[in-house]
Amino acid sequence: MPYDVPGRADDLAPGLVKSWNDRIAAEFARLEPSFGSRFFSIDPVAVGSTARVPVTWFGDPAEPAFCLGAAAAQRLSDWDERGRAVLHNEYCEYAAVRAVDADGRRRLKRVQVTTELREYWVTLARSSPDAVRGLVTGITGTEPAWTDLYGVADPTALSEDARESAFAALVAGGQQGPPSGPLNTRNALFMSHPINGLDDLLFIIMFGARPLFTDRAGTLEPATKEQIFRESGSEHLACRHADPAAAMAAHGAAVSGRTVGFADPLGMYIQSFARDVFLLDGAPLPDGWVRFSRGDEGLHQRLEVGPPDDDPRFLDEAVTAEGATDEPVVGGHQIVRHVEVGPFVVVGPQTPLADGERTVLTTSDAPIVCREATVCQSIEQLQREFDAAHAGPLRRVGPRRTEPTG
Amino acid sequence: MTLQEGVYHAPGARPGRALVLFFLQAAPGADAATVGAALQRLWNVWRGLVRGAVVDLPGHPVPADALTVLLGYGQKAFTLPGARRAVPAALLTGSFRSPQPMGGGRVVVGSGLSYSPEVRQNPATEEIAVQVVAETQLAVNRVVVETWKATHDGTDPATGVAPLTLTAFYQGFQRADGRSWIDFHDGVSNLRSEERAGVITIKPTGDDEQDWLVGGTYLAFLRLSVDLARWRGIDRAAQELLVGRDKLTGAPITAVGADGPVTVAGCPVAGTTEVIEPGNEAFREPPDVTDPVVDLSHVQRANHHARPASDASSLRIFRQGYEFLEPHGAAPGFRAGLNFVSFQDTPDRVVRILRQPTWLGRTNFGGDPDVDPAAAAALLSVQAGGTYVVPPVDPVEPFPGAGIFA
Repeated sequence: MPYDVPGRADDLAPGLVKSWNDRIAAEFARLEPSFGSRFFSIDPVAVGSTARVPVTWFGDPAEPAFCLGAAAAQRLSDWDERGRAVLHNEYCEYAAVRAVDADGRRRLKRVQVTTELREYWVTLARSSPDAVRGLVTGITGTEPAWTDLYGVADPTALSEDARESAFAALVAGGQQGPPSGPLNTRNALFMSHPINGLDDLLFIIMFGARPLFTDRAGTLEPATKEQIFRESGSEHLACRHADPAAAMAAHGAAVSGRTVGFADPLGMYIQSFARDVFLLDGAPLPDGWVRFSRGDEGLHQRLEVGPPDDDPRFLDEAVTAEGATDEPVVGGHQIVRHVEVGPFVVVGPQTPLADGERTVLTTSDAPIVCREATVCQSIEQLQREFDAAHAGPLRRVGPRRTEPTG
Repeated sequence: MTLQEGVYHAPGARPGRALVLFFLQAAPGADAATVGAALQRLWNVWRGLVRGAVVDLPGHPVPADALTVLLGYGQKAFTLPGARRAVPAALLTGSFRSPQPMGGGRVVVGSGLSYSPEVRQNPATEEIAVQVVAETQLAVNRVVVETWKATHDGTDPATGVAPLTLTAFYQGFQRADGRSWIDFHDGVSNLRSEERAGVITIKPTGDDEQDWLVGGTYLAFLRLSVDLARWRGIDRAAQELLVGRDKLTGAPITAVGADGPVTVAGCPVAGTTEVIEPGNEAFREPPDVTDPVVDLSHVQRANHHARPASDASSLRIFRQGYEFLEPHGAAPGFRAGLNFVSFQDTPDRVVRILRQPTWLGRTNFGGDPDVDPAAAAALLSVQAGGTYVVPPVDPVEPFPGAGIFA
């Protein structure tokens, strides 16, 4: 299972590459007892095909859209660190970089988009503080202080476990919450949402890679998305972009008796960006305003849209030409709506399915009403918090009546 | 609430052989109530025709010829003075752009499809679109004339202005050979019947203002003319790689070999000659391919085979197009093409297909426009185009969408 580093973005010492592979192996070992089968292989070589197949979906958060509608989805997703921490769960996160213009106004300068896996960075941070500091320096252009990465002046004095814990708290975030430091909140260095992880990515492919069928008048047909997610009690996952796309791609392989695996290098990639949708002064964005990085061609994990620091212009001068009219660019949601993300997989040859391998589901295939998902309650709460945070001072609008000015 | 008639998605349903799509423009300054009342009168005329009743021929019915009439509303309908409904958000981002003042211009920014150079005004942007389908040309044409009669009779004698005016109409016909004017098979891999409702019908969102649309659909229309002289200048192998199918049999192409395009093995099955014949059902949807040239063909760009089709991310649409042939002042004296008509739960599916680079973005039809002159050429030109919301049938409304007006 010798995977190269995600995107082949870094030239690492063999020991660090091994550490990354060890982390993948550990995550797989944890999931294998529940979700392992011959229809998924953690070893891409064993799959029997080298042709990379992209599995893609769009990067804009689905949940706020089906809970509250498109306008609220944009507004909440663009709510800086708070929006990112709650909503950016389609394996695509972004941060808006703002700067002050000549008139002293704080304006949108760039949007950074990342699909880099948190676990890769944590692996480096655990084993090699120098390596992780080099990555941050390469991305931000400024060498970070050790205290911003680990909370101490000398991380080499910490044990590996302590380094991982400190880095997770300050930079990586995770199950305990979003990062508390500014490095990966003011920037989008890599993904920090707790369900954009390597384990989630492995899980959703392994979850889908099962030959599940349904009986239609005596004929076995592949089970539907609704049946598959309902059978496991996880209907809410079926409403996102990422989970059904990944699971159903793997399921499509499994029902043909094919084995699926991650193509080398395992990672989450930016598969396409419709840059032509964005115009500056009626023309396409200058080349310097669209920068892919953190990976070889076709394996990029990072996208920055907007002018560099030495350019006096701002991204909010560009427009997005989505419909019949142009709208000014106000945040990252407008960018990731036009970004396709996803992993590459390899799919093995078709093989016969033994009778015992087929599982026939009897769960309902009725449509899943996404709006009724419980996640909508927390998103409605986020909307209330947003409203409260953006309510300005009250002004009198009539006898005994006020309204916020914000 | 149920879908309006005229979307032939049920198992075994076949659309009638003839199409007319026409557009109604509201008089300048007319308010929503006035337009609604005029539309009510027209609706009564059309329901009569569906039963074979002509206003001027009481007691003398005519053959209805399986006539269906479907009503759609464009953005302008929602901006009439006094309109009771907000513009559906999806119409704002899912509309086509206007032509350039001197003609031409992209129909969607990022797309390789442009208006024809002589098109300076898009006739398909009025308040109301009406799709008429029947088994005979007479039945659909009769609706046009009866509509004119009713609007003419509704003219205010004092001002000479009618609340609604028929501004443009387009005719089309079905062809039984499953091919298009470029001689290749077309529409062969349209959705399976059990998938259609999930693609077509608008689903609940968290936006209460959009609830009235649940169960309805969006209609996308593009009148596409094809440059047959240019097409005939491309040799057969190159044509096949642009389309992604064998020209004669319709078999999907999977690779490019030393001797040219390689089609999927076993298609057409023994005893048949074309993919549309019984026994070839399994071959109608092209398989996933890894050959980079074939991957850029039209059929591969237009359908990434993502499951399930009901997920908006799959970008699957339900096509119900009709070919056309019309006299034309320039050589060769006629214009041939396709009335592209599709139904989907959001027009976002259509515009994303047209602008995303891994889909049909930047290409006019198929292929790689950066390296292949044939792919960069304007084979298809847009004569008119629009997106319209098609409200569901609400038993308490006198006609679909009546709530917009009163």
